[in-house]
Amino acid sequence: MKTLARAQALADAVRGLCDLYPPSCDDLLEAVRCELGHAEILDGFQPYAGHFSRAVAVESILHIVSGNTPHAALQSVLRGLLVGANNFVKLPSCGLAEISAIQKKLPAELADKLIFSCDLIPEWLEDCTTWIVYGDDATIAHFRDLCPATKRFIPHGHRLSLGLVFQDTTFASCSHAARDASLFEQQGCLSPHAFYVAENARDYAAALAQEMDAYCLAHPPKDWPLAVQARIADIRADYAFRAASDPKIQVWQSPGSTSWTVILTNEFHPPQAIGYRVVFVLPLPGNILVALSPHAAHLGAIGIWPATIPLADSLARSGASRICRIGKMQDAPFSWHAEGQPNLAQLVHWIDFQP
Amino acid sequence: MSGQPFNPTLSGMLSIREVEVLCLKQIQGHIDDFDTAALRLFDFQRENNAAYRAFCATRPEPARWEEIPFVPLGAFRQSPLICFPEQEITRTFWTSGTTGEATGKHHFQSLSLYHAAAMKGWELAGLGGCEVLTLVPHPSQAPHSSLSQMASWLAPHDQFFFAQWAQLANRIKHDRPVILFGTALAFLDFFEWLGARRLTLAAGSLAVETGGYKGTQRDLPKEALYELFSTHLGLPYEAVINEYGMTELSSQCYARGLGTPHVAPTWVRVLVVDPTTGVEVEIGDTGVLRILDLANVGSVCAIQTQDLATRASEGFHLIGRDPAALPRGCSRLVGAPLS
Repeated sequence: MKTLARAQALADAVRGLCDLYPPSCDDLLEAVRCELGHAEILDGFQPYAGHFSRAVAVESILHIVSGNTPHAALQSVLRGLLVGANNFVKLPSCGLAEISAIQKKLPAELADKLIFSCDLIPEWLEDCTTWIVYGDDATIAHFRDLCPATKRFIPHGHRLSLGLVFQDTTFASCSHAARDASLFEQQGCLSPHAFYVAENARDYAAALAQEMDAYCLAHPPKDWPLAVQARIADIRADYAFRAASDPKIQVWQSPGSTSWTVILTNEFHPPQAIGYRVVFVLPLPGNILVALSPHAAHLGAIGIWPATIPLADSLARSGASRICRIGKMQDAPFSWHAEGQPNLAQLVHWIDFQP
Repeated sequence: MSGQPFNPTLSGMLSIREVEVLCLKQIQGHIDDFDTAALRLFDFQRENNAAYRAFCATRPEPARWEEIPFVPLGAFRQSPLICFPEQEITRTFWTSGTTGEATGKHHFQSLSLYHAAAMKGWELAGLGGCEVLTLVPHPSQAPHSSLSQMASWLAPHDQFFFAQWAQLANRIKHDRPVILFGTALAFLDFFEWLGARRLTLAAGSLAVETGGYKGTQRDLPKEALYELFSTHLGLPYEAVINEYGMTELSSQCYARGLGTPHVAPTWVRVLVVDPTTGVEVEIGDTGVLRILDLANVGSVCAIQTQDLATRASEGFHLIGRDPAALPRGCSRLVGAPLS
């Protein structure tokens, strides 16, 4: 099966499968072209700097994915299938409906290249030549230790994402910020947990609270476990205690539930991420890079408003690998450099031909 | 500083000494009107602690102890949560937080009530009158550990065996009962050191373990831990007692064996509440644990913990730290001594 056929089959299979916009056939081919230099370079030798080269997919990929962010798992599997590798997917114990759904919609030749299980099959560890692991630092460290030096290891660790509102006098970004922060119950690496606001942070927080409520009405969260409710109640009480003595702190929350929380605080560094639609609003300091520096190694996406190239350029050394307009934080295109790395390029090796 | 000059002579207000005497009588069992004592203590703390007073300002005036505003544990990470002048702080115990958050601090003007509560609670739990060997660091090694302080009241200096497992094993005699007192993690270390060895304790011996595993790589179900007590020390489950306490409190609750509820001493009241509404759950239901401790005179007596528990007809079945909460807990002492 050629790259074009795989791309077409994958685009057909993924359509309508995810909340976020699915990649089209052109998106998939463009990703191949951008990363590997030619859309058909996986199918045969192509001219390459005076000689010829072709890319060959790694034999087999082990994907160890998280249940929190099906979108990331789906993208990982799509990449493996797009380059033509065999894919073995260790699903979380709760399974991932998206993975089984995509397999059912694939032609047999591609479906055969996608095998998944909620158990980690020992043979997979031995047979797969490339491991892609999603998880926290401990999970990454665990599998890195297990991975022989002869295999390729591609980690996707936990990331902190946030938004920077440089100018927004009408609070137009609030509805977008609410969506970014609410999708996937704020569990994804691209989910913003805090928004730094340059002007009028308190009013911004109040407007954001209204939008969180509106988003919640349209997209109510699942029933969260008692432990999560307790954690949210605790963080609310914690900031309520501080707010009682500090006018720079205020808490807005969903009445009678733990569905959403907005906390205005005057901290300099981003507070600890809670998830589950708990959003912090902070005044934007003069040098935001200093405020973010303790988290540089773990920054994911930074949403900005307005989304201009000069502002994006000013954040190029922040540590974040994705800078985008607030409202697009979760909509990473298929061709994005997840964690600052090429994605497809790590799944191939190269053969050169010099006539 | 609590934000306002200390003024013990406000009209109708008890001084800290008078409040201590009132609460000490409760601990000694001389007064049984808990509501009155709790509300007077609340009045005192609200009056003399600006941060707590501000927190209470937007809440209804309590008529019963259950209605007293409970502070989250995070309040102990803020400015000193004290009801006396800051310069009169004589001891401070630190929470063993491990995640980069500010450390919680419980300040004391005097340890007399903490001492009285800890000793009386120990006695009420049926633990009095027996030699205690401890597996925790001595206060000279861990001056900010409330657990070490409590242990120092239970055992003399030469009966502290933290990480000195050979000496501890030699010290255990077969002819008279002892109580071994330590964190679950310390016991695990001791059991690992013992390996295949099994010590035989004298009849009537007990073990008191406390703390969880958060902040460490360990995670052992209670049943498995208690099985280790049986394997290595020959102690049946009912001879192993869990002590539930925390730096932010001055009193402890105890549960004997597996499946039995923790019971609070008479001067402590416990609520298991729905985390969203704050309303007490029905017996058999699970919620967040709130504790009102009359021995917490110098700080705040009403604490909302981060622990989940199931309400029992008497006491509570501890589920433990909210899995989503910050990793912290006494057991961290083994891996990262507070000293």
